[in-house]
Amino acid sequence: MEFLLEIMTEELPSSHVRSALNQLEMKFRQELEAERVGVGSLKTLGTCRRLVVLADLEAGQREEEEIITGPPRQIAVLPDGNFSPAALGFARSQGIPLEKLETIKTPRGEYLGFKRIKRGKTTPEIIAEKLPSILSSLTFPKSMRWGEKSFRFSRPIKNLLCLFNGAVVPLNFEGWSACNKTRGHFIHSDREIEVKNFAQYSQILKENFVIIDPEERKQLILNQFQEKMSILKAQVYPDEGLLERLLWNVEQPLVIMGAFPEKFLELPLEVLSTAMREGQKLFSVVKGKKQLPYFLGIADAPADPQKFIVSGNERVLRARLEDARFFWQNDLKIPLAERVSQLKNVVFQEKLGSYGDKIERLQKLVAYLTDRLDLKSEKKALEEAARLCKADLLTDMVREFPELQGIMGGLYSQKQGAAKITSQAIYEHYRPLSLEDKVPNSEGGAILSLADKLDTLVGVLGVGYTISGSSDPFGLRRNAHAICKIILEKKFHLSLHRLLDKAIALVKDRLSISEEELKRLCLEFLENRLRFILERKGYRYDLINAALAPGIEYLDYAEARVKALDDLKQSKNFEPFILMVKRVKNILKEIPKGPLNSALFKENGEKELYSALKIIQKNSKEMLAKGDFAGAQKIIFRLQAPLTNFFDQVLVMAEDKKIRNNRLALLAQVQNLIKEIADYSQIVLETESK
Amino acid sequence: MSMQQLFLKLYDFWSNQGCYLAPTYDLEVGAGTMTPDTFFRVLGKKPWKVAYVQPSRRPTDGRYGENPHRVQKHFQFQVIMKPSPVNIQKIYLDSLISLGINLKEHDLRFDEDDWESPTIGAWGVGWQVLLDGLEITQFTYFQQAGGLELFPVSVEITYGLERLEMFLEQKDNIYDLKWSDEVSYRDLRYREEKEFSIYNFEQADIQMLQRWFVFAEKEAQRLINQNLLLPAYDFCLKCSHLFNLLDSRGAISVTERVKMIGQIRTLVNQIASNFVEQEGEK
Repeated sequence: MEFLLEIMTEELPSSHVRSALNQLEMKFRQELEAERVGVGSLKTLGTCRRLVVLADLEAGQREEEEIITGPPRQIAVLPDGNFSPAALGFARSQGIPLEKLETIKTPRGEYLGFKRIKRGKTTPEIIAEKLPSILSSLTFPKSMRWGEKSFRFSRPIKNLLCLFNGAVVPLNFEGWSACNKTRGHFIHSDREIEVKNFAQYSQILKENFVIIDPEERKQLILNQFQEKMSILKAQVYPDEGLLERLLWNVEQPLVIMGAFPEKFLELPLEVLSTAMREGQKLFSVVKGKKQLPYFLGIADAPADPQKFIVSGNERVLRARLEDARFFWQNDLKIPLAERVSQLKNVVFQEKLGSYGDKIERLQKLVAYLTDRLDLKSEKKALEEAARLCKADLLTDMVREFPELQGIMGGLYSQKQGAAKITSQAIYEHYRPLSLEDKVPNSEGGAILSLADKLDTLVGVLGVGYTISGSSDPFGLRRNAHAICKIILEKKFHLSLHRLLDKAIALVKDRLSISEEELKRLCLEFLENRLRFILERKGYRYDLINAALAPGIEYLDYAEARVKALDDLKQSKNFEPFILMVKRVKNILKEIPKGPLNSALFKENGEKELYSALKIIQKNSKEMLAKGDFAGAQKIIFRLQAPLTNFFDQVLVMAEDKKIRNNRLALLAQVQNLIKEIADYSQIVLETESK
Repeated sequence: MSMQQLFLKLYDFWSNQGCYLAPTYDLEVGAGTMTPDTFFRVLGKKPWKVAYVQPSRRPTDGRYGENPHRVQKHFQFQVIMKPSPVNIQKIYLDSLISLGINLKEHDLRFDEDDWESPTIGAWGVGWQVLLDGLEITQFTYFQQAGGLELFPVSVEITYGLERLEMFLEQKDNIYDLKWSDEVSYRDLRYREEKEFSIYNFEQADIQMLQRWFVFAEKEAQRLINQNLLLPAYDFCLKCSHLFNLLDSRGAISVTERVKMIGQIRTLVNQIASNFVEQEGEK
């Protein structure tokens, strides 16, 4: 039977709507199923003013057999087989005839008792009981109180509609009684509407300018976009985030298209689209890569016959673009190079000094990186990028639109005649901004971004910041993630150890923990993020553990190790080899004393293993030096045969202590060699887990 | 409709809602929220309804009279209702209708915008109200002020009068607005904007302002110790304005900013908690 819930509220933030609907869906199903009410279909819908749950539920709880136990059998049944007064009293108090009594076996012994069918509650009863706690358990990023209530919610609740099979569920929640009424659009049809069922509800809402299904609204918006764009033969500059936000923000989506004076096209696309998006939540219109002097907006209205909405938005946008143009022209009057000296007045972090200090460190790190990566020809241009990259923090445009940091530096420096390598590096040096964001296109951008993030990571950890849970004030996780992502995607072959040494040396005088401790912390941090990246690429966690065990000095190698393991995991040699490695590890719980002495070999098995080891060691070293882990692995697998023979023919735990130690020492060498490639003993085999 | 007619209509509307019409407060403030008619009255349990026009100074927003939208002093129409009525959004919409706006011809949106004033230890949850994309009102349910949880909760409605007037007159330039039928916004304010921009950005004596800040802060503390809370609060407002002037002179570094705001907040929080303690259950 149909269940319909609508919580009407004042305007919820878009992100809260999405999250509340997800929580409602999950909790509602959980609670009802826990109460043995069958849940068929269940879906959520809504707008910023209504959270809606629609479900198909069984009429009541499923029946259940219930066992009621009375006195212990020993007391309840007399030796002659008759019931004792205790049993008679129990039957009377439960109101059941004596013939229903039976013996119930429990872990505590035998009892007298009886079984009965537990009467199920009706679904409305269950809902009336459970819904209030579901609603109060909803969590929001930020919640509020209002009026004289101590109850918290995202925004004030205005009405509660709750129907089961067409009838109001008698329900009270924080002062609201459930009813069968809703209201139309708050401006275009603010009237009370009686609701019978979902089909009628969604239909009548539509007649009153509310489209309750978000998918339907999205389709409407996209259709209107297309319609407007086909006239211009242009495209909407895609912005999924904005569309998602606005989708929940309106009940009756109306796409409007407006224009702005062409003189504003002198502004770069980045500035135009930011001014439109941030200020007014408007979409830019482009033809290919070219910005057109139009915009699209999404209003919450059925129509705009007088064009008031369009012209109002045009007027506001003109004002914003006027401001942006003023910033653009004014900012350009002062070369970035001239602004650099003022960076000493802008604090980066109290203990780490100003941005002036930061760019000095960045120039040195960039110089180091270009040397290491054989980019000497770009060295000068990139050092210049490092010097200029934070100067845009002092421009009006970035003060107004902080998300344009870096981008403005790139655009301004280009206008002011910087080398292309320089301005592109500045432009891209905040990227990647998120887990999904791309790394810089240019090598220079990647190097500058890497230097900047490394300096922040090392510095902030070095002055004693720790991150816990959601508190990560300098975005260290994002920074560490970006460092790994850039090195891997740009295939930078860099020693992380030396790179960290270099970065740490530059902040040496400011540290509040030891340099060794700091390096350890950074490596741990980076290893965690690397693990995360590899897991997201779909590698098995045990393969990652095995591959990272030899260390993460070269991130590109660490990834190559996982990949080699992953490629090999299907081969028939894989499992026997791992079992062998584990066997070796087990035996080596007894630690060998003293060095290996080949003169002490007695059996052929150990002599052969030793000579195989020597050859394989030499070959695998060559492979490892080239970073060819697949090759090294194949060679290492050749240890399988001599090891098998060794274990067949040789008794490791010989009575003679000298011989025993020597054999253990031989195995230890074998293990060390294997561990240079991966710690295979960490790999979980299917046969083991069964 | 001229700007003064707008004042009159809003006064009329909110006095019909039972609001006391407060005279404008006579100190420089950054927003209507900061005057005693809001700050002290949202504390504690007593119901309160007030409406008033408050000139609000934001020295960094000065543009020498050259920008058609930004000014270093603008006018707010401030409403406080405590406790917040259940139908407050509807009442607010009615106030717009009373100005002759036919909402059905426009796009009115309550757009998530929470408010925070670290200086007076206050924050709230609410929206900016957009009319055809133009921000005309800030609508906030106060959750905290003076560092104290508020109960009951007050709702604050702050109309940006110039914005609203630009909408009503369909003007693109603030200086073209009519204050009355006879007097334009330019007549009244242009010279003021120009001179104050020069003062705020170029002429304000940094060292003197810094010294005054120290004096005002000390005086506020002394007055708190004397249990003269309203005068003490006035000196906090002075601190806040001096801070804003120093800021527009670019004389405050990031760390100093945090420190100075913290100093003012500490004073304001003391005033708020002493006030609530003394007014208590009256």
